[in-house]
Amino acid sequence: MNHLHRLFFFSLYLIWYLCPIFALSSSSAQAVELAVIVSVRSEVSTLRADQVADIFLSQSNRFPNGSEAVAIDQNLGSPLRDEFYGKVARRSPALIKAHWSRLIFTGRAQPPAEVDGNAAVRKLIADNPGMIGYIERAALDPSVRAVLIVR
Amino acid sequence: MVACLLVLSSGAAHAQAKWNASGFGTVAAVRSTEDQGDYTVNPNSPGQAGHSKAWAFDVDSRGGVQLDVQLDKRWSAVAQVTQEKSVENSYKTYLTWANVKFQATPDLSIRAGRIALPLFLAADYRKVGYALPWLRAPVELYSLMPIANSDGIDASYRWNSGDVKHETTLSLGRATARLNKDVKGKARNIVGITESASSGALTLRFTAAQTLLVVPGAEELFDGLRAFGAPGEALARRYDVAKRHVRVFSAGFNYDTGDWFVIGESGRINTDSILGDQTASYLSAGRRFGNLAPYMTYARLVANLPTNTSGLALDGLPPDVAAVAGVLNDALNFQLRQIGAQDTASIGVRWDVAPNLAFKAQADRVTPRGGSIGTLINIQPGFRSGRSFSVISLGLDFVF
Repeated sequence: MNHLHRLFFFSLYLIWYLCPIFALSSSSAQAVELAVIVSVRSEVSTLRADQVADIFLSQSNRFPNGSEAVAIDQNLGSPLRDEFYGKVARRSPALIKAHWSRLIFTGRAQPPAEVDGNAAVRKLIADNPGMIGYIERAALDPSVRAVLIVR
Repeated sequence: MVACLLVLSSGAAHAQAKWNASGFGTVAAVRSTEDQGDYTVNPNSPGQAGHSKAWAFDVDSRGGVQLDVQLDKRWSAVAQVTQEKSVENSYKTYLTWANVKFQATPDLSIRAGRIALPLFLAADYRKVGYALPWLRAPVELYSLMPIANSDGIDASYRWNSGDVKHETTLSLGRATARLNKDVKGKARNIVGITESASSGALTLRFTAAQTLLVVPGAEELFDGLRAFGAPGEALARRYDVAKRHVRVFSAGFNYDTGDWFVIGESGRINTDSILGDQTASYLSAGRRFGNLAPYMTYARLVANLPTNTSGLALDGLPPDVAAVAGVLNDALNFQLRQIGAQDTASIGVRWDVAPNLAFKAQADRVTPRGGSIGTLINIQPGFRSGRSFSVISLGLDFVF
């Protein structure tokens, strides 16, 4: 049994310390600045990253002021979306997927609706004061208010 | 329940019901070096790794599909069926979830129908391999659950105290309890309360639950014992399974920064009978490097009662009566040995191959303790408790 034990601890060592060498770095090279936005008609003025993450991951259904919050996502697989979750929730796309698997397959929640592109997200958010989304900072206009800038 | 969903959906078709279909599955191969028993995740879904098969695909492999419908802002419904190994040793389809949810306020939701009991941290999603950091939830704790889901209602309320977010869930229901291949019972008056508190990367969770477990089929043994007067009565009082209050307590934490995590949990299930009183705990840590997430876990299961009894005293009994008493004693001790004690050290890695696909490899060193069979099943005459064995598992988890 002794050699088995040694093998066991040797493989433990291998996995624990050598994984980083084989792991591919997943950080995106050309990160853009993101703006988390609400409608100008919303009363929400500023949010912290953890408050934004809670709303997008269905950990909270309300803004800090108590009003109901509905999150809007960019399309699955878009670089903007991956950057948003990477920076605001500190979670990789796979971890976000695992998080939603836990909520979906226990009937607790469904992920946010997806909208394609900055202009469409901005228009939807501008028209709905209860909604919150994110776009490239360069796509900001007076119809929406940036409540958090993500660099 | 399905019919009910159909009625609901047709009635609300004009209200723009939103439908969602999704699914999950795991295909895993498992090899165990203990050939005098079979390694399994749960006695109710018996795997065959070790004695029956050199490589077993039935330990963790399963699939599930789910249909969700959002009828309007407040009403939604969910139905989920899973295909998994049954005690009859074949794959069978189970209706695991089927409930209607009413979101009374953004903070309060009420569900009615079939609901998985959130007894432990990962209890209600343990079958969704993709949602787990491990190849499987630690068997020491998660094999203790005789009741997977209950038919009843639950209410969840979210609240805040300072920067701490809370969710408190109250569950009421009833269920069929499958205790092993031969023993089936009813869990009535299930009452459970779960409190989860999170702040930043830390989540704490506590559960207390109680049910009245009614298990027929053991009358012969316990009536037999009672026939031996006061000592027999005492044994029957202590071990009878006919009608028992089963209590479950669990406490767990999860600290997850995104780059690394530590998860720990401890749970006790006390059946107040020959079915056991066990406590299981585990501590697990992992790091994430891009697509790779290696982890290690140590888990321990202990029995909170002696797993043998001297039973009825045979001294001074006439030979034929002593023979009957001996058979009863053996039957008691056989059942007591089924109450497992065990520990497992595991290492493994999760590799997120594609957005919806995770490959996992896990190696376990398992030691059944205290003369018990641990969490093994299908024990053969050559089995020796206390002898460590290894389990190697390779699996693919997917969601769609």
